[in-house]
Amino acid sequence: MQSLSIISVNIWQVLISFANLAILTWIMKKFLFKPVKKILDARKESIDSAYARAGEAEAQAEEHRKDYAAALAAAKQTTDQMISDAAREAERRGNEIENEARDRAQEIRRQAEADALLEKKKAEEDMKREIADISAQLTGKLLEREIRPEDHRKLVDSFLQELDG
Amino acid sequence: MTEEKRGGDRRFRRTDRLLIALMILPLLGCIVLKVLFTPESEGVDISGAMIFLELPAPVQPLVITESQVNSWAIMLSLLGLCLYLTHGLKEKAETKRQLIAEWIVEKCEGLVNANMGERFAGYEYLVAAIMGLSALSSLSCLIGLFAPTGDVNITAGWAILVFALVTWTKLQGGFLNYLKGFTEPIPVFTPMNFISEFSLPVSMAFRHYGNVMSGAVISALVGTALRGLSRLVLGWIPVVGTIPLLQIGLPAILSIYFDVFSGLMQAFIFAMLTMLNVSGAFPQEAWEKRQQKKAIRKQRAAMAKA
Repeated sequence: MQSLSIISVNIWQVLISFANLAILTWIMKKFLFKPVKKILDARKESIDSAYARAGEAEAQAEEHRKDYAAALAAAKQTTDQMISDAAREAERRGNEIENEARDRAQEIRRQAEADALLEKKKAEEDMKREIADISAQLTGKLLEREIRPEDHRKLVDSFLQELDG
Repeated sequence: MTEEKRGGDRRFRRTDRLLIALMILPLLGCIVLKVLFTPESEGVDISGAMIFLELPAPVQPLVITESQVNSWAIMLSLLGLCLYLTHGLKEKAETKRQLIAEWIVEKCEGLVNANMGERFAGYEYLVAAIMGLSALSSLSCLIGLFAPTGDVNITAGWAILVFALVTWTKLQGGFLNYLKGFTEPIPVFTPMNFISEFSLPVSMAFRHYGNVMSGAVISALVGTALRGLSRLVLGWIPVVGTIPLLQIGLPAILSIYFDVFSGLMQAFIFAMLTMLNVSGAFPQEAWEKRQQKKAIRKQRAAMAKA
C-alpha cells in the first residue's frame, strides 16, 4: 500500500479537511449546543418563574399578615371594650344591689324600731294597767272597803294623767 | 411501573446502545482498516498517511488517505458522543451525561466570552469542534491509528478555515478599511503586512502538525532504537532474546508526553489562537465606533425620510 510522503500538500485533502471542520462545527451546534441550551434556557425560565411565584407568595403572605394583624388589633379593641363595659356594668349592678340592701336594712331597722316602740308603749300601757289594778287592790285593801271599779278607774286615770301631765 | 413506561425505558436503552455503537464502531473500523492495509516492515518506517484510494481530479489527484478516513471516523464518533450526551436531557439534571454536556457547553461559552466577547458568541461551536476534533485526532494514535493531526493537509484545512473567518471578520469593517489595514503604520510596511497576514494559516497549520508529527517520529525512532539495543544486549539468550524487552517503559512515557499531553495542549492552543486572531481582527473599539456610525447614519436616514 502506497503512502503519502511525510510532508506533502494535496489541495483536495486540504479542502476535505476544511469541509470536515465546518461540518463538525455544524454538528456541534445542532446536536450539542442547541439541545443543551434549550434545556438551560428552560431551566432558567422555570427558576425565574419559581422566584417570581415565591415573591408573589411572599407579598401575599405579607398582605395576609397585615390583614390578620389589623383584625387582631380590632378584636383586641372589641374585647377591651367589652371587658370595660362589663366591669362598669358590674360596678353599677354592685352599687345598685348595695343600695338596695342598705335601703332594705334601713327599712327593716325602722320597722324594728317602730315595733319596739309599739311594744314599749304596750308594755307601758300594761304596766300602767297593772299598776292601776295593783294600786286599786292595794287601796281597797288599805281602805278595807269596796270601791266600785268604775270610780276606781276614773280615779286612777286622773292620777295617771297627772303623772303624765 | 406501568407497561408503557417500561417500554419507553427499553427504547431509551436501545437508543443508548446504538449511540454508543456509533461512538465506538467507526474507530474499530479504522483499526481494522489499518491492520488490513499496513505492510509488514522492519526497521524505521516514517511516512505519511496511507493512501486508500486515488481518484483522478483536476490539478492534483483526489486521494482518500488514512488521515481523511480517521477524521471521518472521529467526526462520527463525536456525533455519537453529542447525541449520547444530549439523549434524554431533562430540565432537572439527573444523569451524569447531562452534567457533562452542560459542563462542556458552559465551558465553551465561558472561554469564548472571556477571550472574544459577547459579540462573537457564535464562535463557541467552532471552538468546541476544533477542540473535540483536534484532541480526539491526536489521541487516536493511542489506539494505534494514524493521528490525522499528524498530516499537514488536515491542519492546513482547519487553519484555512480560521484564516477565512479572520478575513471575513476584518471585512466587516468595510473592504477599504481592510485594504487600508495593510498599509499601517506606514505604507512601507505593506509587503511585511502581507507576509504576516498569510503567515497566520501557515504557522497555525505547521505548529499543530509539527508537534504531533515530531512526537510520532521521535516515538518511532526511540522504539526502533530500543528494539535494536534489545537485540544487541539480550540477543544471546535463547528464547527471551527474541522479545525486545528494552522497549518496555520508555516509549510509554514518551507516548504520555507526545500523544496525550502535547495532543491536548495543541488542541487548546489551536482553539485559543483561533479565538484571539478572530477577535483581534476587529477590535472592540473599532466595532463600537462602527456601531455608532451605523446608528448615526440610520438616524439621518430616518430624519431625511421624515
